[in-house]
Amino acid sequence: MAAPSQDAGAIASIPALLDRNAKRFGNKPAYREKEFGIWQTWSWAEAKEEIEALALGLINLGVQPGDFIAIIGSNRPHLYWVFPAAQMVGAIPVPIYQDSAAEEMAYVLDHCGARFVVAEDQEQVDKVIEVQDQLHQFEHMIYLDPRGLRKYDHAKLHEYAHVQAMGRAAIDELTPELTARKSKLAYDDVCVMLYTSGTTGKPKGVVLSNRNIIETSKNSSEFDSLGPGDEVLAYLPMAWVGDFIFSIGQAMWTGFCVNCPESPETMVTDLREIGPTYYFAPPRVFEGQLTNVMIRMEDASKFKKRLFDKYMAHARKVGGKILDGESVSAGDRFKYWLGNLFVYGPLKNSLGLSRVRVGYTAGEAIGPEIFHFYRSLGINLKQLYGQTEASVFITQQPDGQVRSDTVGVASPGVELKIGDNGEVYYRSPGVFEYYYKNEESTKSTKDAEGWVATGDAGFIEPDSGHLRIIDRAKDVGKMANGALFAPKYVENKLKFFPNILEAVVFGNGREECTAFLNIDLNAVGNWAERHNLAYSSYTELAGHPKVLEMMKGHVEEVNASVAEDEMLSGCQVHRFVVLHKQLDPDDGEITRTGKVRRRTVDEKFADIITALYDGSEEIATRTEVTYEDGRKGYISATLKIVKAKTVPASAPKAVAAE
Amino acid sequence: MMDAQPAEGFVTADGRKIGGVVMEMKNITLRFGGVVAIKDISFDIREGEIRAIIGPNGAGKSSMLNVISGFYVPQEGEVIYKGQKRPPMKPYEVARQGIARTFQNIALFEGMTVLDNVMTGRLNYMNTGLLSQAMWWGKSQREEIENREVAEKIIDFLEIQNIRKTPVARLPYGLKKRVELARALAAQPSILLLDEPMAGMNVEEKEDMSRFILDVNDEFGTTIALIEHDMGVVMDLSDRVVVMDYGRKIGDGTPDEVRNNQEVIDAYLGVAHD
Amino acid sequence: MPEQLLFAMEVILNGLMAGVLYALVALGFVLIFKASGVFNYAQGVLALFAALTLVGIMEGQVPFSHLINAIFGTDLHHFGWEIPAIAAILLTMVVMVALAYLVNHYIMRHLVNQDPIILFMATIGLAYFLEGFGDLMWGSDIKNLDVGLPQGLNGFIDETTFNAFGYGFFIDNLDIVASVVAALLVVALVIFAQYTKQGRAMRAVADDHQAALSVGISLNFIWVMVWSVAGFVALVAGIMWGSKSGVQFSLSLIALKALPVLMLGGFTSIPGAIVGGLIVGVGEKLFEFAIGPMVGGATENWFAYVLALVVLVFRPQGLFGDKIIERV
Repeated sequence: MAAPSQDAGAIASIPALLDRNAKRFGNKPAYREKEFGIWQTWSWAEAKEEIEALALGLINLGVQPGDFIAIIGSNRPHLYWVFPAAQMVGAIPVPIYQDSAAEEMAYVLDHCGARFVVAEDQEQVDKVIEVQDQLHQFEHMIYLDPRGLRKYDHAKLHEYAHVQAMGRAAIDELTPELTARKSKLAYDDVCVMLYTSGTTGKPKGVVLSNRNIIETSKNSSEFDSLGPGDEVLAYLPMAWVGDFIFSIGQAMWTGFCVNCPESPETMVTDLREIGPTYYFAPPRVFEGQLTNVMIRMEDASKFKKRLFDKYMAHARKVGGKILDGESVSAGDRFKYWLGNLFVYGPLKNSLGLSRVRVGYTAGEAIGPEIFHFYRSLGINLKQLYGQTEASVFITQQPDGQVRSDTVGVASPGVELKIGDNGEVYYRSPGVFEYYYKNEESTKSTKDAEGWVATGDAGFIEPDSGHLRIIDRAKDVGKMANGALFAPKYVENKLKFFPNILEAVVFGNGREECTAFLNIDLNAVGNWAERHNLAYSSYTELAGHPKVLEMMKGHVEEVNASVAEDEMLSGCQVHRFVVLHKQLDPDDGEITRTGKVRRRTVDEKFADIITALYDGSEEIATRTEVTYEDGRKGYISATLKIVKAKTVPASAPKAVAAE
Repeated sequence: MMDAQPAEGFVTADGRKIGGVVMEMKNITLRFGGVVAIKDISFDIREGEIRAIIGPNGAGKSSMLNVISGFYVPQEGEVIYKGQKRPPMKPYEVARQGIARTFQNIALFEGMTVLDNVMTGRLNYMNTGLLSQAMWWGKSQREEIENREVAEKIIDFLEIQNIRKTPVARLPYGLKKRVELARALAAQPSILLLDEPMAGMNVEEKEDMSRFILDVNDEFGTTIALIEHDMGVVMDLSDRVVVMDYGRKIGDGTPDEVRNNQEVIDAYLGVAHD
Repeated sequence: MPEQLLFAMEVILNGLMAGVLYALVALGFVLIFKASGVFNYAQGVLALFAALTLVGIMEGQVPFSHLINAIFGTDLHHFGWEIPAIAAILLTMVVMVALAYLVNHYIMRHLVNQDPIILFMATIGLAYFLEGFGDLMWGSDIKNLDVGLPQGLNGFIDETTFNAFGYGFFIDNLDIVASVVAALLVVALVIFAQYTKQGRAMRAVADDHQAALSVGISLNFIWVMVWSVAGFVALVAGIMWGSKSGVQFSLSLIALKALPVLMLGGFTSIPGAIVGGLIVGVGEKLFEFAIGPMVGGATENWFAYVLALVVLVFRPQGLFGDKIIERV
């Protein structure tokens, strides 16, 4: 089905889109959620009724235009409905990461001054209650799942269903008020506020207008011809801008169906049952799926493994070409067809990706191996480059022009430019209004002409017009000899090995590069089991001589590949350690979205970094860890410093001026 | 000390309803040959409460649970269930009367899926005979669906949706314990007996299990009798505690009362803390 | 079409039919094994006993007539009536259920939680007992069993194939009926085990006695039920084999034919029993047809066992059995 093309200007808000969808798509499924083992469905008309009942209930509770309503919980239709319901009554929805700790939550709730909170369940309610004394403006909390909450003091607590019931009961009295508030919604009013989980400092509240969201949703839906027949699985955090654009912006614009999984653990099964046609996942999800496939194949019978290897090799040869519409011989096509029958088809089906028409990955660079694996299966996986401040889309790859090393061309309506320091700037209708209560940051990020600095260094390929990202602009440095130091580039290459979960490369201002590695417990544990290695803990496995040996092999492979690129050949890893603990958001070492917090790592593991450069053979260290329940403890270990072979670079090159 | 509680029931400080006595053990004595496992023990279980039986190893608490669930028949004494004296019965008959249990060493149907295991808990609610199942397929399908709904609610409650279709044999220990609890709950029992529900678990799993036990009691109002030797856990969970030692009852009352009982301290706590 | 190929096709078809009967017997084993962990050596004798009883009832034979005559000096043999096949089959089923009850009541329930080998020994004892008991009850002469199943060459197939290929296939009607009945039986058993309340309870008992008790399942009821079902399967097998080659002692030996089938298919798999039966049936007929003449024939006697042996070497759990996983 073709995307509805119409003037976005006629529709000024998400609630207006909802009205349009209820009229146009009436009985078509709008939301699905698996509960008690069965997929429950709401049509657009039903969803509208539910949302309006909630909106009336919110008015009844005393929500005023301009109030902030925080939404905390996992992807569930009832929580998605809070967004349009809040907007309808003139309030501003603020989704919050549900896995944030109580103090993180307190900061955000206090910063936006939310008067109302909609929480999914007891766990979230407890967190808010814990910090409510610090929240001066907080008044009422609505919860969705009543389990365990019956005995709580209900002076400030309300059950979601009751709020709706109250709204329905007062439908005659309050509908005029609701209609009046809805009619006041303007194109440049605030649509949503999303907090960025920055790698440094406190989160910033990015304010996005109706214009930002609707224009972006329209442009991006048309770019990939998304239509009302598409299906998505909503499983990424609701507080993340991507989920907001996919599951609310584009869903409302095109009228496609948003499916919510039963629980995070059932994701794989739910994915298979729904078979989305439009699918987004960060690289680590694709990596995880691929690792699982490979582990399963290791355990499969010899015959199956042979069949798999043989046909995957063929797919690698021609699959990508077929997908890109290039010419492929009839014989190869037939063989690919056979492979699809016996290998690719069943595999895609078990991954839940057999119906994917448009798939995206973003957030981090994806390993070329992984990327090509999916594409060779015939899954149209593409890359995009985006930011919260851009309402997601800055660049994306058009069908047929997909490569693993670029992030595509400028999205429709986006202008790009490269700054003097190599930093990428953009300007688009999706550019955010401002950071809430943070004029200073707004000014330093967005200039008077509307250009926004991405903070990433990159360049536009002259022949293809595709953007290539090298690293964070501030992380690209120079080594002691003046050669370019791009840690992310090397880290990504390391992380493309399934056995390596995380890598941190050091070397800014130094003579040589060194690295920290984290093993992937799943992959390495499985490998250890197959090789009869006994281990009793993560630390022990990570320090096992055979594991170090294997890691050394990986590092040397990366060195060889890094050396091929003249500009970056100075970034080869000379020495590394395999860390005794996994970098963990609870310990502040990585962000909740999985990005390494360099400064924290530098401070926390200073002793190990020193040892990497002072010629030690090993280093005894003790590290504080935070357990899931918040208690703290220590892990002690002696880490061996492993030397890796490097490929002699021709001569250290100075940074070429681009 | 038990007299402090009114016979017709009351409401606890945290708002749960505790009803009248649902089961009473009167002067129970159980012998294996010459060995006396339980000696003249009496206590009662009230509707809606969490009742614990504790004691050092070999105190006879497992035997007591087996008496309640009908796996052992005591030589002397009476079991009064819902106001009536219970004649000697087979374990499956006791189960059909609404007493469900779990086992210390986990007794699950390993070859069946989690869902099938939970569904076996519903067997007593499926009344259609074999022949009528063949002849009235529709009716038995309806029955199946009704029971599946109950099973799914419990699966949802115990958060085991993701392993619904997984054969039990493949699950780790902690999850198996939870599946066993799910199966017992599926029977919607009048009394739920838990045989060392935390045995062999790590701290985190123990906390999860405690949470589930409290939630089950709170949400469904299920009467729970559990035996456990982890004192800390028991004291936090239970409304009343029976303490056994060498087959005798040496204490009975609220956790606080038991904690301050000198005989209990000597016999049990002293041993546990050395 | 070349003649050899046509012969081979006919052989395969006949092999399939024979295989269905093997599968039927093997199925009885699998059922009891799955439900109670007992390898029921008596399954073949059960089939013999069922067939004997059926013939006896149909012909109005006086049970234990030899014994009675010997003790009381009478000369009773027949009541002098004949009972229609359907009624006789129902009556036989009643006898089989009663037998199931007795077996459980006097043997099996006393052996709960014993080692499998003990239970196996018990079924060997049961087999010999039943064999003698059957003789005593109904006499040891070879009997004809005719419950009205069609027998002999199927004219339709003969004619059609003759018109098509110029060579008429010889397929026995009885084999066709047996295949259809066996197929129906298999479907019924699978539905029973997977989708009925009793089937679920049966699988539960097979898995864990204690757990089954704790959810309110009566073990005795399930065991009687399982033995009754096995008796029913034995009755069907007895009717098919009895109609084909008469009711005689050798009928109990088909149990031995089921052994290679089980090794092939795995002791715990219902589909395994079916496929295993078919493989043995087709395999031994084809082997006899192709290789038999070169080695002097009579390969049917040993082919199945050798095949099973080969399979055991490569897949000890059988083609379909539960994988045996022992991590080092």
